[in-house]
Amino acid sequence: MSQMLSPDMTIAAEAVTKAKIEVKNLNFYYGQSKALKDITLSLPERSVTAFIGPSGCGKSTLLRVFNRIYELYPKQTAEGQVLLDGQNILDRSQDLNLLRTKIGMVFQKPTPFPMSIYENIAFGVRLYEKISKAEMDGRVEQALKRAALWTEVKDKLNASGLSLSGGQQQRLCIARTVAVKPEVILLDEPASALDPLSTAKIEELIDELQADYTIVIVTHNMQQAARVSKQTAFMYLGELVEFDRTEKIFTSPREKRTQDYITGRFG
Amino acid sequence: MAEHTVAAFDEDLGQISRLISDMGDLAGSMVGGATKALLNSDNALAQRVVSDDAIMDARQRELDDRAITLIAKRQPMADDLRHVVGSIRMAGDLERIGDLAKNIAKRVGTVGLSATPRDLSHSIDAMAQLVLIQVQGVIEEYAARDAAALAKLRADDERIDVKYTSVFRELLTYMMEDPRNITACTHLLFCAKNLERIGDHVTNIAENAYYVLTGTQLPANRPKQDETAMSAPAA
Repeated sequence: MSQMLSPDMTIAAEAVTKAKIEVKNLNFYYGQSKALKDITLSLPERSVTAFIGPSGCGKSTLLRVFNRIYELYPKQTAEGQVLLDGQNILDRSQDLNLLRTKIGMVFQKPTPFPMSIYENIAFGVRLYEKISKAEMDGRVEQALKRAALWTEVKDKLNASGLSLSGGQQQRLCIARTVAVKPEVILLDEPASALDPLSTAKIEELIDELQADYTIVIVTHNMQQAARVSKQTAFMYLGELVEFDRTEKIFTSPREKRTQDYITGRFG
Repeated sequence: MAEHTVAAFDEDLGQISRLISDMGDLAGSMVGGATKALLNSDNALAQRVVSDDAIMDARQRELDDRAITLIAKRQPMADDLRHVVGSIRMAGDLERIGDLAKNIAKRVGTVGLSATPRDLSHSIDAMAQLVLIQVQGVIEEYAARDAAALAKLRADDERIDVKYTSVFRELLTYMMEDPRNITACTHLLFCAKNLERIGDHVTNIAENAYYVLTGTQLPANRPKQDETAMSAPAA
């Protein structure tokens, strides 16, 4: 597919900032079924990249390769290379715990643990670090502030995470991800179950977080992809059809399949 | 182009295309009518052009309403987005062409063509024909989705500029020859300037149409041959 990538891609993905993640000739299989076909692309550091495409196109699969979460399931295999800062994370020698501290993930449905707001964040931090109560308090506050949730929950940190609204729960999940100081944040349709106001807060948060993190977002909402991302990848049937600057993709895409999809002419 | 999954989206876009096409036809008829009225001192035709401008304005308002509603309801992307935004801009230029044609028509009564030299009407007539071809051509080429023809049409505005420069000089000569020509020639000068401005609006439409069709902009610089601004202080 590399011959189909736009010349602009190099501007979007490499010249502006260095590549944080480089995917090279990646194939992915669910058993015998090939879900990703020879994907090559590079994601710039401290920038938001969106993956769009119809259901089953492989965008979530690609996201799941980045932190090897697919290995929790049998018969799912990846071939090729995914380089994080030049290190192939698909190597058998890769420490998965270390990888998942570097690459955090937030899912479509908010998944707070059935414990207090405070513990939702402290729990993850304790897995990787031994720090004092005072330091932990600071870390929890910092993470909640980073996720724009602090003012709403600072007086009820002992309340259950499940008592929060859907939008607040999702921001709690982002706070939990941020608390372990990752380098990359993967967002799999983070706002698809939220109302417009909560969605706006998540998008505002993404905009702020990109100053410090490399963010990859999968979304079915094309306006959202257009609003939050700097570069967009369109995928179809396991192929990377087009990867370019977001403005280019949404105003004059190069590929007809991209144009048909984003203008609602598909199938 | 394949149809949208939502059929009403195609209908909404189709209505915007039809309005642009209607406005283009009306602009051609107004420019043709205004120059014919001017050359034949036809006051009735001039009045029709003046009243047509109200129709043009109403069409533009309808297009604005439909385009804004479409953006709000359907959030168009890529070529659809270019189509809608381009149409809003093209409608603005067509509305201005209508205004300029109306301005020519309003001068018909005061020009009194019999007082002006015969050669002059030939020059204005020739210039008006060039402009009319451009106005009609731009809407036809856009409807035919012919980007290459639009790029050529934009470059052809140069011929109108050259013609305007020669009409301008001719009018100055007639005014210097006989001061009784000054009133009529001054009005004709405004008419010629209006025709030249109509040509410029056509180039704007061609540029927008080119962008709508291709997603790329034509180069910013276009040859300019209107030398009257440079020669004016000396004259």
